[in-house]
Amino acid sequence: MSEALPKHEELVQIRYDVPRNGWRSAHVDFRKGTYSYSAAPKNVQYLGMANPRHWRPTDKDWKLPPDWKQIILRGMKERLEKFRSFRLFMDICVRCGACADKCHFYLGSADPKNMPVLRAELVRSVYRRYFTASGRLFRGLAGGRELTEDVLKEWFYYFYQCTECRRCSVFCPFGIDTAEVTMIVRELLNLVGVNTNWVLEPAANCFRTGNHLGVQPHGFKDSIDFAVDELEELTGIRVEAPINKKGAEILFVVPSADYFATPHYYTLLGYLALFHEIGLDYTFSAYASEGGNFGLFNSHELMKRLNNKIYAEAKRLGVKWILGGECGHMWRVLHQYMDTMNGPADFLEEPVSPVTGTRFENARSTKMVHICELTADLIHNGKLKLDPSHNDHWRVTFHDSCNPARGMGLLEEPRYILRNVVNHFFEMPENTIREQTFCCGSGAGLGTDENIEMRLRGGLPRANAVKYVRDKHGVNLLTCICAIDKATLPTLLEYWTPGVEVGGVHELVANALVMKGEKDRTTDLRGEPFPAKEAAVHA
Amino acid sequence: MSVFSSLILVLVFAALAYAGGLAGSSRWFMGVILPYTAILVFLGGLSYRVLRWAKSPVPFHIPTTCGQQKSLPWLKWSWLENPQSKGGVLLRMALEVLLFRSLFRNSRAQFLDGPRLRYGEEKFLWLSALAFHWSLLIILIRHLRFFVSPVPRFVMGLEAVDGFFQVSAPQLLVTDVVILAALLFLLQRRLRNPQVRYISLFTDYFALFLLLGIAFSGVLMRYFFRVDLERVKEVALGLVTFSPTVPAGVGPLFFVHLTLVSLLLIYFPFSKLVHMGGIFLSPTRNLANDSRVKRHVNPWDYPVKVHTYAEWEEEFHDKIKAAGLPLERE
Amino acid sequence: MPGISPQTQQAISERWRAAIIQTYPGLTAEFLRQEKDPFRNPVGAALREGIPCLVAELFGAMDPGKVSQALEGIVRIRAIQDFSPKQAVGFVFELRDILRDVLRAPEAPLGELHKRIDEMALVAFDVFMRCREQVYEVRLSEARRAEGFRKRMVSRDAGG
Repeated sequence: MSEALPKHEELVQIRYDVPRNGWRSAHVDFRKGTYSYSAAPKNVQYLGMANPRHWRPTDKDWKLPPDWKQIILRGMKERLEKFRSFRLFMDICVRCGACADKCHFYLGSADPKNMPVLRAELVRSVYRRYFTASGRLFRGLAGGRELTEDVLKEWFYYFYQCTECRRCSVFCPFGIDTAEVTMIVRELLNLVGVNTNWVLEPAANCFRTGNHLGVQPHGFKDSIDFAVDELEELTGIRVEAPINKKGAEILFVVPSADYFATPHYYTLLGYLALFHEIGLDYTFSAYASEGGNFGLFNSHELMKRLNNKIYAEAKRLGVKWILGGECGHMWRVLHQYMDTMNGPADFLEEPVSPVTGTRFENARSTKMVHICELTADLIHNGKLKLDPSHNDHWRVTFHDSCNPARGMGLLEEPRYILRNVVNHFFEMPENTIREQTFCCGSGAGLGTDENIEMRLRGGLPRANAVKYVRDKHGVNLLTCICAIDKATLPTLLEYWTPGVEVGGVHELVANALVMKGEKDRTTDLRGEPFPAKEAAVHA
Repeated sequence: MSVFSSLILVLVFAALAYAGGLAGSSRWFMGVILPYTAILVFLGGLSYRVLRWAKSPVPFHIPTTCGQQKSLPWLKWSWLENPQSKGGVLLRMALEVLLFRSLFRNSRAQFLDGPRLRYGEEKFLWLSALAFHWSLLIILIRHLRFFVSPVPRFVMGLEAVDGFFQVSAPQLLVTDVVILAALLFLLQRRLRNPQVRYISLFTDYFALFLLLGIAFSGVLMRYFFRVDLERVKEVALGLVTFSPTVPAGVGPLFFVHLTLVSLLLIYFPFSKLVHMGGIFLSPTRNLANDSRVKRHVNPWDYPVKVHTYAEWEEEFHDKIKAAGLPLERE
Repeated sequence: MPGISPQTQQAISERWRAAIIQTYPGLTAEFLRQEKDPFRNPVGAALREGIPCLVAELFGAMDPGKVSQALEGIVRIRAIQDFSPKQAVGFVFELRDILRDVLRAPEAPLGELHKRIDEMALVAFDVFMRCREQVYEVRLSEARRAEGFRKRMVSRDAGG
């Protein structure tokens, strides 16, 4: 039989065709599950932004203002003059292709326009056509492209398929950062009223009530009280959780999901237990009750408007410095934008840990410290009594959230904490963690349920690495320090790698924390029995 | 399509220059007017581009961090990948500019099964990019021998090192081989790697063919159809001393070389080739990660509409009161 | 099924994998084919893993568990990519042409093999449907996770 067969080499000779027409024809099929709904007019109106109206991405007519093209081009011109990043990133790409396979959306969707270089070319081509001499003269030959409604629709589709995770910028020889391009293009789209509800509704809510679900002050207090009650049931200790308390030493700001969503909530319990144990003099604020900044996903101006509350409230309450909870995009804003936008915070003091006396010199201007920095310092100085065996039912891995990793460099603090509070810790493969971490695929305002298929595509590279440690080491808990991760990774992992749950670092800290005067704790913060105790019972 | 049209365009330019060189009629144009124009356009255009970048503000402090931040003193800080001081930034930039560090990062892959096809390819991208740029620099310095008389010592020294193989007469220079090989590799990569081919524009090929044309004509002149170097030096010295002369008998190949170089210089400021100047200004690379240590000022900052505490308290006054939270105004 | 050498099976696997890869846009196909690092190329890795298993089962025991598991790895991804149901599972039928090309000898038991291919296609369809259902399930459980807290807040707001 093998006689009749062609040779092996001949059999595996396969020809691949590259699409001939290239990428410059703009056409998008808005398929259900791959885009987010447009912003409701009431939210656009409340924030005082352009062109509030009812429309859907699937509509043929997007009801753009008649002079939309001039508005966009004017907006581009203005931003080219205001942002060196934008002008430079439009100019210097040499299309070497090093970034091509670095985007989680490209890896998961196989759509070539998700290669970072091409995502940027979608707008670079318009830049060349209207803003460079060669493009104005030679048009297509110089890589230029007319700005049409189809191009605008394409921008909407693909720039809401970028999670501003900055992974591509790590590999670019010129540091071109697609996140920067995405932020600018989303600003441009906003000028003509093209935006998504999952960004603008939380933003409007944050602006009005202080948090993204629009929960009002009494609701906020209730949820904190509820957590205090629940923590008492678990530990036998009644902790204090002051709100809007003037004269407290520290203002504590968390992403609002921490007190409204699971599994974030267990992290909130963790904070409360930890603060009680070290006797921290702190306060929440019902006015600045959201650290997460949905403005980052919309425009620099909205980012500034929402971020304003934190310093304003710190000043009003007369605190000395500010502490921030576990959140990704929140920390991008706090670390890289807050001081510039709403500083200087000269009414605050350089942060000093009241327990260890450590000065946080790396935050001496912003006066805002990451909770992982605080806790790592506590553990290093032996201020916490920890029993890692309380977490023995978890086999843990750590997912670096994009922004703390690539917009800050907070890599070792959470790992140091985890190594001290769990006995079974396993890293995912090297090229999927730290500065090379893969995004959850739902950041930057894409984490809405109608966008589920796109999110599942974007989450595949991350989930694939989780699967590896699940199969190899039996990992059953992925920890992270980002509210969006906690909200969306349980969903993605349920589809891609069932059997792995998601939790926060400070949830595990509190599990391991041996508190003074606690009752004989038998369960962790989720109500799961401690393994050691369970074994004792069985014995 | 754009591959062939850009190749043909470069060939047409080369052929015109060759014909002009043969005929001798347009020598003044190619030997004097074009080079001067090219230099003017190059210097003017490049400084315009770079000044425009440098002048455009950096409103926000946005370095991409690729390692552990400097925070607690006992945590090992990645001072090169995540610099917090000027010195660290300088070193990071230097490695980026001199060794293309980020591009090298690209080839770090692990857990491979089977042959490492892709892995190798990407290391070649880094290697060939590096080889090309360094060869180009050395060749440019070597060309000083035509513009300066007497020839500076370091130029002679460099040429001696470059020719250490001593395999032929005229001495074979390593950079000549390397630059051709690197350019050919980059070209074939652009053509054969489907992702890169898909994103490539006419201008990408045009730049490559122009550079290849220049390198190729230079090699032809040096090793195969020798031109009279004394006369070439006369032309070059004439240009830099502003007393241009174009002696007869320089040879048409020289005009091909000179014309293509002039075209490259003219094209340079209008193209992606300006990336050379841009890398120094890239805000994701040239800033220290010290945004919590020092305040970065946005030069065009403007006040925005915010929702003040007073407005908030007024709207939710009764609810705040009912919840037992403190109020500013009872 | 006797007489199908490992080399032939491998050739069939390679061709089949190529055919599936061809369902992706041209340039992506090349990447999926070449990149060997499973963490840089999860889609390609899934094919690399699943296809040889399926071919082995085709000529082997057709173990339902193994067939379903191997298809799962591939179809789970295609179920959420830009494919219609037909495109998402239709790749199984590519095997027919490949077998016709590769097994040129008249004694090749094509009839039995085609029956097995049909069986595989049906299993692939099962997997596809299961995955699609799961897309809605995970969407629902996400909403429930969010809703649980919202409800609690609302009930408290109403009460107080």
